[in-house]
Amino acid sequence: MSKLALTLTINGERHEILTEPHRTLLDVLRTDLGLTGTKENCLEAECGVCTVLLDGAAVNACILLAAQCQGRSVLTIEGLARDGELHPLQRAFIDHGAVQCGYCIPGMILSAQAYLDEHPSPTEDDVRAALAGNLCRCTGYQKIAEAVLAVARDRAAGR
Amino acid sequence: MATSEPRVVGKSLPRMDGAGKVTGTAVYAADFALPGMLVGKVFRSTEPHARIVRLDTARARALPGVRAVMTAADVPDVRYGGALKDETVFARGKVRYVGQPVAAVAATTREAAEAALAAIEVVYAPLPAVLDLDAALAPGAPLIHEEWASYTAIPILHRDGNVCNRARIVVGDVERGFEEADRIFEHRFRTGMVHQGYTEPRAAVAAWDSSGQVTVWSNTQLPFEVQNTLAEILQMAPSKIRVVVPGIGGGFGGKLRVGVEHFAAFLAKATGRPVKVITTSEEELTAAYPRQGTVVELKTGVTKDGRITAKAGRIWFDTGAFAGSGPGVASVATLVLAGPYKIPNLHLEGFAVYTNKTNCGSFRAPSGPQANFAVESQIDIIADALGLDPLELRLKNIVREGDEGPTGQVLNAVGLEECLRKAAAAIAWNDRRPARWRGKGLACGWWTTTGGSSGVYVKINPDGTVALNTGAAEIGTAALTGAAQVLAEELGVDLADINVVSADTFSTPFDFGAQGSRTAFAVGNACRAAVDDLKRRVFALAAAQLGVEPEACRLADKHVLADGKRISLADLARLSQQTGGGLIAQGTFIAPPTAYDSKRVDGHVYPAFHSPSFHAHAVDLSIDPETGDVTIHKYVVAQDVGFAMNPTYIEGQIEGGVAQGLGQALSEEIVYENGRVLNPNLTDYKMPTTLDMPRVETILVQHPSLVGPYGAKGVGEPPNIEPPAAVANAVASATALRLTSLPITAEHIALALRDAGT
Repeated sequence: MSKLALTLTINGERHEILTEPHRTLLDVLRTDLGLTGTKENCLEAECGVCTVLLDGAAVNACILLAAQCQGRSVLTIEGLARDGELHPLQRAFIDHGAVQCGYCIPGMILSAQAYLDEHPSPTEDDVRAALAGNLCRCTGYQKIAEAVLAVARDRAAGR
Repeated sequence: MATSEPRVVGKSLPRMDGAGKVTGTAVYAADFALPGMLVGKVFRSTEPHARIVRLDTARARALPGVRAVMTAADVPDVRYGGALKDETVFARGKVRYVGQPVAAVAATTREAAEAALAAIEVVYAPLPAVLDLDAALAPGAPLIHEEWASYTAIPILHRDGNVCNRARIVVGDVERGFEEADRIFEHRFRTGMVHQGYTEPRAAVAAWDSSGQVTVWSNTQLPFEVQNTLAEILQMAPSKIRVVVPGIGGGFGGKLRVGVEHFAAFLAKATGRPVKVITTSEEELTAAYPRQGTVVELKTGVTKDGRITAKAGRIWFDTGAFAGSGPGVASVATLVLAGPYKIPNLHLEGFAVYTNKTNCGSFRAPSGPQANFAVESQIDIIADALGLDPLELRLKNIVREGDEGPTGQVLNAVGLEECLRKAAAAIAWNDRRPARWRGKGLACGWWTTTGGSSGVYVKINPDGTVALNTGAAEIGTAALTGAAQVLAEELGVDLADINVVSADTFSTPFDFGAQGSRTAFAVGNACRAAVDDLKRRVFALAAAQLGVEPEACRLADKHVLADGKRISLADLARLSQQTGGGLIAQGTFIAPPTAYDSKRVDGHVYPAFHSPSFHAHAVDLSIDPETGDVTIHKYVVAQDVGFAMNPTYIEGQIEGGVAQGLGQALSEEIVYENGRVLNPNLTDYKMPTTLDMPRVETILVQHPSLVGPYGAKGVGEPPNIEPPAAVANAVASATALRLTSLPITAEHIALALRDAGT
C-alpha cells in the first residue's frame, strides 16, 4: 500500500510521518511515536480513553485517520504538563482522589481541558455533560467532577 | 503497633502512583511493547454447540505477514481450571459457546492477523444447544461435557452432568422452622449476566529467551496463579515462567485467571518473536469472565411480629460452557442467601450450571449482588405484607456482636445496626414516600475479607528511603498505598519515603493476589510483620552504635531513638551495607482460619467469611411514569470498614462500587439470543456514564476487626453488593410494583406500569 507523507504538530513539536492512509491517529501515536499515554480500548469511539485534542477540540483518536490530521495540531496527555510542573487538572485529579486504575484518566483530563477552555464557569451538571463520552469504571465520576470543578473555580479566581 | 497518634494511617494521603497515571507515563499491559513484536489474534467459534467437522488453516498460513497459525493440534492436550479442570486452550472436537477459541494467529500487523482469521476455514455440525438454566437442568438435557465425570476436580465438589457443583448449608430443621412461622413467603428472582467493564482490555506480551524461559507481561490480578496455570498449559516448570504485571487498567475480578497470556506464550514460542494479544470489546462481551446470570428461589417463614424462623433458598448460576469460578461462587452465595440475619433454621443451596454460553468468572463480590438482590427484595416484601417498617424488620433480625453466622462462626466487630440506622437517617427514612412516583429503599448485607497469604520484603536504603517489594498487584484501588501507609506508620517514616516494587513472579515474594478485598488487609499485615523483623536487626545495630540496650530502642522520625540518643535509619542502612549486606527483612501474613461448624456445610468451597464487613445502602429515587426512567435523588452507603486506612480511596471504592452496582441494577446485561450475544459493544452494553451517576454519600462506620491492620476490614467488593436490592426496594416504594428481575430498565418499569394499569 502506498504511504502518505504527513506533517503533524504533536505536543508542540513538528513530526514528519510516513504512513498508510487507513491508519488511525491513535495507532500512529501509540505504535509509531510511542506516545502510549493515549489509551486504547473499544476502537469505535464509545469509551473515550483515546481522547486527544485536535486543534484544541476533544476527539476520539481511535476513529480519526492520521491523514485527517495533516497540518493540524494534536495535544496528548504527554504534552499537558509544562516545564516539569503538573497541569492544574493533573494536580487536581490527584488531590481529589479522582484517579484509581487511571486508564481513563488521560482522556478524561483532556476532555475536561477542552471543555474548560470554552466554558470557564461550569456547574457540576455542565461538567458531567462535558465528560459523558468518557467512560470510567472505577470512580463513579464523583471525584472526577469535583476535581474539574475545583480547577474551574481556581481559574475563575485567577489562581 | 504504634501507641502514639497515627501519623500516616487513617490519613487521606494521595496515592503513590498518581503522577504517572495523570501524565500518561504509567505503563499498562496494553501499552507494553517489545522490538520485533508480532500481533496475536484469536479465531473464535460462531456456534453455541457444534462438532468441528473440518478445520483448515492452510490458506491463512500462506498469507503475507502471517508467522503462525495454531489450533488444538499444536498445543498439549491439557484440561486446566480452578476447582474443576475442564477448560482447553482451543476447542477440541467440538465447540461449546460462541466465542470459544478455536485457533490463534500471529502476524506482523493487525491487518495481516485479521486477514489470517478471515482465511481460516471451519465447518461445524451443530448440536442441540443448552441456552439457559431451565434447559440445562431439564431431564435428559444434552450434556455440555459428556466426559464430565472424568475431569479432575477438588474432591469436595458435588457434580452431576450439567451441574458442576452443588454447595449446601443446613442449619437446624427448616421444616420445623416453617411450622413455627405464621406466614411463609415464596419468591423467585432472576439476574442478568454482566461484565466487569474494565477500560483496559485484557492484554499480554510473551517472549521466550534462549534458555527456554518465557516472560509474560500481563494485566492479570493474580500473577502467581497465572504462572501456575501457564505451567499446566505449557507443560513446563513454573520456575521457567515469569509473569510480570506492568500496570492494570481495572480488573474487578475479570482479570484473575488466564485470559490471553497462554495464546501469547504459544504464539511467541512458535514464531520465535515476542507476541502481543489484546482483546477487542466484542471479545470482552462474548468471551471473557463475566458475572453469572442467576435464578434464585427463596422460601422464608416469619412470625407475625416479624421474627424469621426459617429460610430455604436455592440459587442457580449460569456459569457457561466451563466451570470458571462457578463452583466457588455457588458456595459463597449460600452465605449471602443467609443474609446478615439470625435465622435458626436454614437450608440453602448454590448450583453452578453449565450452559452453551461464555465461561463466567468472578466479578467484584462474586454472587453478592445476585443473592443479596433476592434476599433484600424479599425482606421488603415481607415487611409490607406484615405491615412492618422494612428498617424495623431488619433491625429485629440482624446479627449483632457475638452472634453466630450461618455456619457457626462467631461474629465480632459487627457494625450493622449502626450502618442501617445511619443510612436510613441520611435519606430521611421516616418519610419513605415523599411524593407521588417517589420512594426510598434500603438494603443491607455482609461480606468477607478473603484470606490467603502475602509476603513482602522490605529494604531500607542508605539514603533512608524504603523499598516495599510485594507480589500483589495494584489494580487501582490504592490498596498498595494503604499497605505502604501501614509500613510508613510502623517504621516511623513518611509515605513519600516508600517506593513499591510489585507483581513479578521471579523477584517479588508470593502473594495470593489482588482479589477478595484483601490487598491492603493482607499486605498491610505482612508489612507489620516485616517491621517486627526489621526492628530486631535495626535495634541490635543501633544499640551497639549508641551504647544502649536494644530493648530501649524505638522507631520515630526516621531514626532509632534510645535514652535521649538517636541515629538515623539512613546511617544504620549504610552501616549495615558495610558490615552485613544491608537492612532487609521479610514479612508474611496469612489470615487465621475462621472456626465454623463443618457439619453444617457440604460441597462448600468457602464455608465462613473472614473478618466480615457489614453495610447498608439507602436510595431516594423518582420514576417517570411515562418512560419508566429512574432519577436518583440521593444515594447513601454506610459501610463498616473496621478502620479507614485512607478515607479518600475508601470513598472512591464505595462511589465506584455503587456505580457498577447501579449499572447492574438499572441498565447492564449481556443479552443472549439463541446462544449469541446481541449487544457485544459499549453502545449497547450500557455502563453508567457521568450523566447516569448520582452523587454518593459515604458514611464510614468503624468497628475494628481483630485481624486487620489497625482493625481494617476488606473494603473494595462490598459497595457493589447492595445497589440492585436498594434500587428494587425504592422502585417498589415509588410505584407499588415489585420487579424481581435484573436489570430494572426504564423499559421494564414502563411495561410493568402499563400492565398494572397505572
